Amino acid sequence: MAKKLPKRTVVIVGGGLCAGLISRQLTAKGIEVLVLERGGDHANGAEATLPNQRDELRWDRRQGLMQNWQRETYTLRHSRADESLPIRWMEAFLPGTGVGGAASHWNGCAWRWSEYDPILRTRYETRYGKSAIPADMPLQDWGTTYGELEPYHDLFERLFGLAGKAGNIQGTLQTGGNPFEAPRRGEYPQKPLEMSEAEIIFKQAAESLGLRPFPQPAANSPQSYLNPDGQRLGSCQYCGHCERFVCEAHAKATPDTLLYPMLRTRAGFEIRTHAHVLNVEYDRRAKRATGVRYLDLNSGQEYEQPADIVVMAAFTMTNTRLLLLGGIGEPYDPVTRRGGVGKNFCYQTSSGVGVFLKDRWINPFLASGAAGTVVDEFNNDNFDHSALRFLGGASINAAVTNGRPIRTRATPPGTPRWGTAWKKATADWYAHSFWVGAQGSCYPHRENFLDLDPDYADAYGRPLLRMTFDFRENEVRMSDWVTRQVGEICKAMSPDFMGPVAGRAAPFDTRQYQTTHVTGGTVMGAEPKSSVVSPHLQHWDAENLFVVGASVYPHNSGYNPTGPLAALALRLGDDLVRYVERPRML
Amino acid sequence: MAEQKQPSPRRTFLLQAAGLAGAGSLGSAGVAAVETAAAAVPAPAPVQAATIPYQSLSPAEATFIEALVDVLCPADEHSPSGVDCGLATYIDHQLAGAYGQGDGRYQRGPFRTGKPEFGLQVPLTPEQFCKAGIAAANAASIRDHGKPFDQLAPAVADEFLKAVEADRVRSDGVSLALWFNEVIYRLFVEACFADPLYGGNRDVVFWKMIGYPGLPAAHALDMVRYRGKPYPGAKNPKSIADFT
Repeated sequence: MAKKLPKRTVVIVGGGLCAGLISRQLTAKGIEVLVLERGGDHANGAEATLPNQRDELRWDRRQGLMQNWQRETYTLRHSRADESLPIRWMEAFLPGTGVGGAASHWNGCAWRWSEYDPILRTRYETRYGKSAIPADMPLQDWGTTYGELEPYHDLFERLFGLAGKAGNIQGTLQTGGNPFEAPRRGEYPQKPLEMSEAEIIFKQAAESLGLRPFPQPAANSPQSYLNPDGQRLGSCQYCGHCERFVCEAHAKATPDTLLYPMLRTRAGFEIRTHAHVLNVEYDRRAKRATGVRYLDLNSGQEYEQPADIVVMAAFTMTNTRLLLLGGIGEPYDPVTRRGGVGKNFCYQTSSGVGVFLKDRWINPFLASGAAGTVVDEFNNDNFDHSALRFLGGASINAAVTNGRPIRTRATPPGTPRWGTAWKKATADWYAHSFWVGAQGSCYPHRENFLDLDPDYADAYGRPLLRMTFDFRENEVRMSDWVTRQVGEICKAMSPDFMGPVAGRAAPFDTRQYQTTHVTGGTVMGAEPKSSVVSPHLQHWDAENLFVVGASVYPHNSGYNPTGPLAALALRLGDDLVRYVERPRML
Repeated sequence: MAEQKQPSPRRTFLLQAAGLAGAGSLGSAGVAAVETAAAAVPAPAPVQAATIPYQSLSPAEATFIEALVDVLCPADEHSPSGVDCGLATYIDHQLAGAYGQGDGRYQRGPFRTGKPEFGLQVPLTPEQFCKAGIAAANAASIRDHGKPFDQLAPAVADEFLKAVEADRVRSDGVSLALWFNEVIYRLFVEACFADPLYGGNRDVVFWKMIGYPGLPAAHALDMVRYRGKPYPGAKNPKSIADFT
């Protein structure tokens, strides 16, 4: 029997990046916030302390900071014709658990997306004609624009002390930055990270082909940095333990370093850890969320937490699942294409080519998570698609994020997987190889979607979320084409060996880490019939329910998703201040 | 455990290294030559290797796993044998611990078989599946080669594992390819490259082999100083234990 608690003004599901940013905006205006986080606090654990922070087996291989698949996983089928299977141990993407969420164990790549990403359908139709977008690709505009989000990008970048080089300041292109960058009001708060040897090699090769490489925007602080809230980042140690790890040096900008310690000192802020939200309570007749029901993992007691406003700021998958479990909004039906919850589920189409240069010391262990050099000529719609049979593209990078030896050991093609020859090749090439990656867009397909699995349940007895997903023709063609561009850049390095030049192919493989960038399921848009939330992230069927995170993206771009997500969260914080003053459809 | 048949790791390494060096017998001069040769390559394992008792493996299973890791990692100029590097100890400890018991794995039914891309779907725990695979592989070895795996000549054992890896060895019940690729091979690379804290990678032998410096990895100055150059710390890696 759930115990009913006193009503709160704003309750946020999930204590990650979005919740931290929203709480910052709300508590600054004296509005009280309660955050419910299913995990604990990593701040004083072995994961945040030397020497055990550097334990690749525990934190990386055994996923010590991630969602516990034993309790809750996802099921998958590659098409509607298949039977689903539960992913019993997921490697492809890694939702976090604990204060800070996935932004605690991220690498720190912090992009703004293309200026045209929020109006992508309009962009393609304008440039290539109405028939350019295939009928099975439900691209849609977001109902907001880059210009509306720009001030919040700027605020996020100053809060998180991003390191980079501007490519476009108020419309004027800047030498050394990304010539395709959306216009920004000013330079990055910090200068770029030190370049690795691999980046130097990549930059030279890219320039020899007439491309314009630039430093990847990074949330790994090159210097000690004091943000506008008086919160401090340490200086990056280039230890190569960023993604999948907690930064013990507090040099990686995360919610657990920059937001939650400050929020805990603010009146009206409360975070409850080990509070696992089981359901968002919905009054169908009144079309209102009345609060949430959660399980206190410390005691086993269930609580009902009433709220004036509920904000869903959990991981992509959880946002969608809670809407489906709560019966809020109409589930997506791929046959009729009616309903919005679960549609436009996208991932990231990643690929790359390994290069081997025996005379160059790559030293992959001298690394920072987002240190990288990138070219953007082949990303998204930065190039002419009129003669190509696909839409989208990829950012191409040399980004040596780590030299952790269980994970990062390349050997030339044809090397045996064990024995003396394997040892010799591993020893010969560990310090002399790197990966040139392509981080590709993934556009929605009518047959890629999320719903509740009919057969499988979690440890709490609730249906698991089912992915119906695969890399469809558009993504496979795009990846093939872009990976050949990667191959040309690699050839320009005159390597001793190169890996195979092969794009991402179906079927989607859960055993191989690709990225944690799953998007969609609760998409935003200007029309209730094609979206779950409004351009202000307000649920169309519950005025006091808001959803934020990569789950609101109608498509995935050729960039990491964190930047726009943070901008949307900060803007939502300001929108909620207005909503508290006068509740209404914004 | 005291009766468990285990080779003396030090002796095995010296003998095999001597063989590689072309020394006919292991006289004192030969030992000295090998010692010198060994000093030039990654240091050999400490002698207490064989004294760490097993937790999960029976003597028969241990015999199989020891033979297996010595095929995957033969003693050579790069490292001592797999057993002497602690690889069997690592695998045993993982099977006995959280990993082997299926911690973190979704274990509810219904169980179904599917494409490899769905990952391991077997209802057994990893420890149970590993052991079922050992029994099945031994049975296949006896069927195809007339003797259990640990008695195969090294070259034959190597070919046998290649056939298992490529799903060319038939076995009723257990998929040996899944067993090898999803369990055994993953444990093997972890055993080589995880921190020695877990019993493998003894004396950081694999970190020395590839030049991974380990801890503390506070490289703010190294990043510039050793960019594009050999990193001196790579010769003397440090593990978690060195900082505890």
